[in-house]
Amino acid sequence: MKKKITWQRLLPMLIPILVLAVWQLLSVLKVIPTNILPAPSAVILDGIKLTQNGELTRNLTISLYRATIGFLIGGSIGFVLGLLNGLSRISNLLTDSSIQMFRNIPHLALIPMVILWFGIGESAKIFLVTIGVMFPIYINTLHGIQSVDPGLIEMGRVYQLNKRQLFSKIIFPGALPSILVGVRYALGVMWTTLIVAETIAADSGIGFMAMNAEDFMDMETIVLCIVIYAILGKLSDVIVKYLEEFLLDWQQTD
Amino acid sequence: MRNKRQRRFKLGVIIVFSCLWIWGAFVGWRNLNVNHNTTSKADTSQSTKLKKITIGYQKGDILEITKVHGNLDADMKEKGYRIVWRSFQSGAALLQALATGNLDFGRTGNTPPITSQAAGTDVVYVGAGYSKYNGSGILIPNSSSMTSVKDLAGKSIAVNKGSSAHYLLVRALESVGLSIDDVKLVYLDPSAARIAFTQGKVDAWAIWDPYTADAQINADAKLLVSGKNYTTDRDFILSTRAFTNKHADLTSTVVDGVAIALDWANDNKSELSNQLQKSLKLDKEVTDLTVSRRTYGVSKLSQKIIQEQQEIADLWYRLGYIDKKIDVDKNVVGD
Repeated sequence: MKKKITWQRLLPMLIPILVLAVWQLLSVLKVIPTNILPAPSAVILDGIKLTQNGELTRNLTISLYRATIGFLIGGSIGFVLGLLNGLSRISNLLTDSSIQMFRNIPHLALIPMVILWFGIGESAKIFLVTIGVMFPIYINTLHGIQSVDPGLIEMGRVYQLNKRQLFSKIIFPGALPSILVGVRYALGVMWTTLIVAETIAADSGIGFMAMNAEDFMDMETIVLCIVIYAILGKLSDVIVKYLEEFLLDWQQTD
Repeated sequence: MRNKRQRRFKLGVIIVFSCLWIWGAFVGWRNLNVNHNTTSKADTSQSTKLKKITIGYQKGDILEITKVHGNLDADMKEKGYRIVWRSFQSGAALLQALATGNLDFGRTGNTPPITSQAAGTDVVYVGAGYSKYNGSGILIPNSSSMTSVKDLAGKSIAVNKGSSAHYLLVRALESVGLSIDDVKLVYLDPSAARIAFTQGKVDAWAIWDPYTADAQINADAKLLVSGKNYTTDRDFILSTRAFTNKHADLTSTVVDGVAIALDWANDNKSELSNQLQKSLKLDKEVTDLTVSRRTYGVSKLSQKIIQEQQEIADLWYRLGYIDKKIDVDKNVVGD
């Protein structure tokens, strides 16, 4: 029984490890020319080099800062709007369709406007992350509130819960699973928007590092940046998944 | 019991990760501010009220050479200004920042100011670089059988749309009676074009240094023709009308400062090559070649230079890349 569990735990790692092994092998055998795709070992060495000269940690932490601030602002706005529109029909009618229109504008198309409004400093980059993060959280908060079982709300009324209790005991916990899905999704969007944001007159950040490497065909650094994005994405996902399991374990029926 | 332990474990993981996350973000915030502080601290310690001037450059260009040389910063400090240098990935992005008042000065190639003027911005020319046509041209693979521009008929050619290389290419084609409709243009930015070219997906590539030098040294490429006779391929130092109206004296300070740095560059090419190699992360051979085939320098815009720009503007209008005729002369700031 226990053996089976550890075996299954390793299963998700199988594909990445196999891909890495085959990739390294093909590079060593020179099947893939290194100017098209550098070997994993070369990428790791590049990572070590950039860590030693401080460039990687500097850019990584700066990106992390921009992402976090953008996420906090955008997440809060999305959450509050979702709550308002989920709880008030008037507010929903007033703002929902405008939000939906704004949501589908590609971030790249917004860049000229962002430069015009926010200039080329930090606020422009943080603004882009903010709007990227806002929508998934908004939609999932709204959806979560709207899909709370009406029977439960009815039951709450029967127990004579007042509005505040109704919200904190029934509506919010009922919407939480959906909100956390929104958070998970938003964390992914956060990193992808940041790449776009860091092309605006940036001189730091992982997005800048990737663009700079691309300009001069520094393939090792390009691949390194891709790997870093993948790891950051996975890490943020793990945090929320644990948070989900921690906050929602009342849901488990077994 | 087991459930409780699992719960505690999960909480622990969440807390540890969140702390790491917040700590990382905090370090990032400090890193960002350290950047700003090192420049401002040095300034504030000497003279408290320096006004800010923002200059945009692109990697390896004449303004970066000036930045590294440091003479312009010193000149400006004497006049009571402090320079904030901003690096840009492309001329288009730099011009956008300039046009929206986020920059006071910047440098681009010869075509972006034309498009910008046609779009109605108040970007003006304040200085022109010496011509650098030797490093620009049309690249073909070493193995190619093409020998003259005429042979390009029917071939696919990679070029960055609207760039100085695009202009060079059109001029070269028209000099032998071909038009852009006789070739297959593939619009790619330099990094994508390099891949397409080395993979043989396109037959030729119109491009500028250091990409030209890099392809010649690292990608078995040769120049079918250089930019000679077709274009002067100058750099331009740009500003905005609003800024130059207010600070006419600073315009000369900038142009003179760049000229001094570039005089140094001409006299110290091997040191310059080392600098560029670090900044651009290219091989020494590549920057050596780039530097050796170019004479650096900058001046105010002469009638001849204005005429060159006017020719680009007229061609761009004829090809429909800009939708109105413009008068380059109107956007030149001189003494």
